[in-house]
Amino acid sequence: MPSPADIGVISYAPIALLFVMAAVFAAVNIVASALFGPRVESVVKGTAYESGMDPFGSARKRFNVRFYVMAMTFLVFDVEIIFLYPWAVSFAQLEPRSDESLMFLARIGFFVGTSVIAYIYAWRKGVFRWD
Amino acid sequence: MMGMESMGPRLGLLAPEMVLFAGAVLVSVIGLSRSAGMRRSVPLWCIVALVAAAFVSVETWTQERASAAQLLFPSMGSFVKPMLALVGVLLVLPGIGAIDRGVEGAIASGRQAFDALRVMRGEHYAFALFSIAGAMLLCGASDLIWLFLALELVSLPTYIMVALGRGSRKAQEAAVKYFFLGALSTALFLYGFALIYGSTGTLQIAGIRDAFAAQAAGPGIDMTGLAGLCLAILGLCFKITAVPMHFYAPDVYEGAAVHVSAFLAFVPKVAGFVALAVLLGTAGWTGHALIAADGVRVAYTGLPEPVAAVLWMSAVLTMTLGNVGALMQRSIKRTLAYSSVSHSGYMMIGLIVGAPAGINALFFYLLCYGIMTTASFAALAALERSGEEVDSFDDIAGLRVRHPAVAWMLAISAVSLVGIPPMVGFFGKLALFMAAFESGQVALVAIAVVNSAVSAWYYLRLAIVPLVAPPSARSATVVSAPSRWPAICAVVCGVGSVIVPLAASRLLQASERASEGYGAGSAVAGDESGPKGSGGLYTSRLTRP
Repeated sequence: MPSPADIGVISYAPIALLFVMAAVFAAVNIVASALFGPRVESVVKGTAYESGMDPFGSARKRFNVRFYVMAMTFLVFDVEIIFLYPWAVSFAQLEPRSDESLMFLARIGFFVGTSVIAYIYAWRKGVFRWD
Repeated sequence: MMGMESMGPRLGLLAPEMVLFAGAVLVSVIGLSRSAGMRRSVPLWCIVALVAAAFVSVETWTQERASAAQLLFPSMGSFVKPMLALVGVLLVLPGIGAIDRGVEGAIASGRQAFDALRVMRGEHYAFALFSIAGAMLLCGASDLIWLFLALELVSLPTYIMVALGRGSRKAQEAAVKYFFLGALSTALFLYGFALIYGSTGTLQIAGIRDAFAAQAAGPGIDMTGLAGLCLAILGLCFKITAVPMHFYAPDVYEGAAVHVSAFLAFVPKVAGFVALAVLLGTAGWTGHALIAADGVRVAYTGLPEPVAAVLWMSAVLTMTLGNVGALMQRSIKRTLAYSSVSHSGYMMIGLIVGAPAGINALFFYLLCYGIMTTASFAALAALERSGEEVDSFDDIAGLRVRHPAVAWMLAISAVSLVGIPPMVGFFGKLALFMAAFESGQVALVAIAVVNSAVSAWYYLRLAIVPLVAPPSARSATVVSAPSRWPAICAVVCGVGSVIVPLAASRLLQASERASEGYGAGSAVAGDESGPKGSGGLYTSRLTRP
């Protein structure tokens, strides 16, 4: 019987390898660009990077409420997907056409149905209109 | 795993909730229709859903289904669900004409095009239906998770209703206050539930009852369980506006639109009392026993002493602070808010007395209270002064001259809320105080009677100012609300307060079903016969070992 230490350390080896590879990749990139890259300094290049936005001014900007409504709608369907995965995994293990599997199907049908209702409501409310 | 068989009877019992859910979905989509006529039909669909739910709840309820669902109070739903649906119909009416008034007016006059984002009538009524469905779900709660989710389903829509009902800053302030304090109360009773689970090791209500009964038969219910029960009671005090969680009531009722205040005064209160009855049923009243010092098995018909003490203090403080607070108000809505606090205090007596008599009287009182309080809020909703709600006693002075029907309904509801004999409020109080008296709670009854006498001062002001006082400069400019429906609701409830007592004995019989079957299959059987407890907070009697 192998000692616990053997199994424990060896089974983590791929993760350790991943860390080493990440560190080497980063180091090689920094060293290589320092050695071979051209050096053109400018004011714009020296500013902080913020996804193409101007990084100056107050961070307390007012966002359009539409972003918020969109995020809420996204959340509804995102959570829905999260629940569908475990359902699909356990549904595959049930006996086909048994009472239990039909009950499972009915339940997820109801669950998806409620999101369809939420979708219809959001659509009628004009959540997806962006003008 | 729960199969078809165990799900069947419960699904049957949930039919009224499903009807309300379908109604809520329908109403929320119809409310976004481009046709003004369709949008106007929203309250009608709401009423159809509620009437259908009431019908279905009576039709689908059977003894077999109820007992198969393994509930602590198998028959509670057969009284509470129709009551919620029918008072719910009355609560729909005061909002007609008030919700979306500005937007609909602008659309009708052509100043503004229809924009689905600006109308909220559908949402408002859908939330009302969801909240009522949550209160109905509580009757079927068989475990703590269900109880918690149903309580949240009652509360979450009401937070939004407070904010939506009225475009003013006051309503938003009220909604924020209500939401944060509601979150606090949720945290409290959730912590209580966690401690109860820690003490008993189960989430099933029936299992908790058995575990508490076993503990009580040994060294007594342990501190964790008692602390959990007390925390849960405190959290639920928010829902029933009982001391020490009552202080939000005046601000929220004043800030919310008057039809929303009417809703808040009834639906969350029913939910809170149902949840409290279920929780307290696990810890006492009947079916429990303990071993006395001399080794004799003692069965008791009451609550564990610390729980009973918490409830007793809360009940006395609630009725007293409610009435004293109401004496000092200038705003009618604040007066009615404090009045609703004091009525919760009376109803808590029913919880202390316990099943069956106290719980039956409590639910009968809830029905009476729903009719009277809806009458007074609807009467306020039927009036307006330069586009604003009527809210000071000055506004209603001498109302009989220009709005006789509304003035009379306001007076009738006030007299009924005091509990003066021919009115429905008297029969509610009579049933409650009789139950308390018979179980030996003489001190509580005395305090409640003194409180009723004190409350007469401000209730009679609500009756005398519109009927006897001369009209004031302010009340001369009071006009009827644009819709007739709030006034019709006030008349229905006001006439109901006078007529319902004719059917009081039948309704009392119906309410006796609320606690039917309670204690059946309890862990300690065989203490149903014999005399009731002799008195005191914590009455006990000896049984043959």
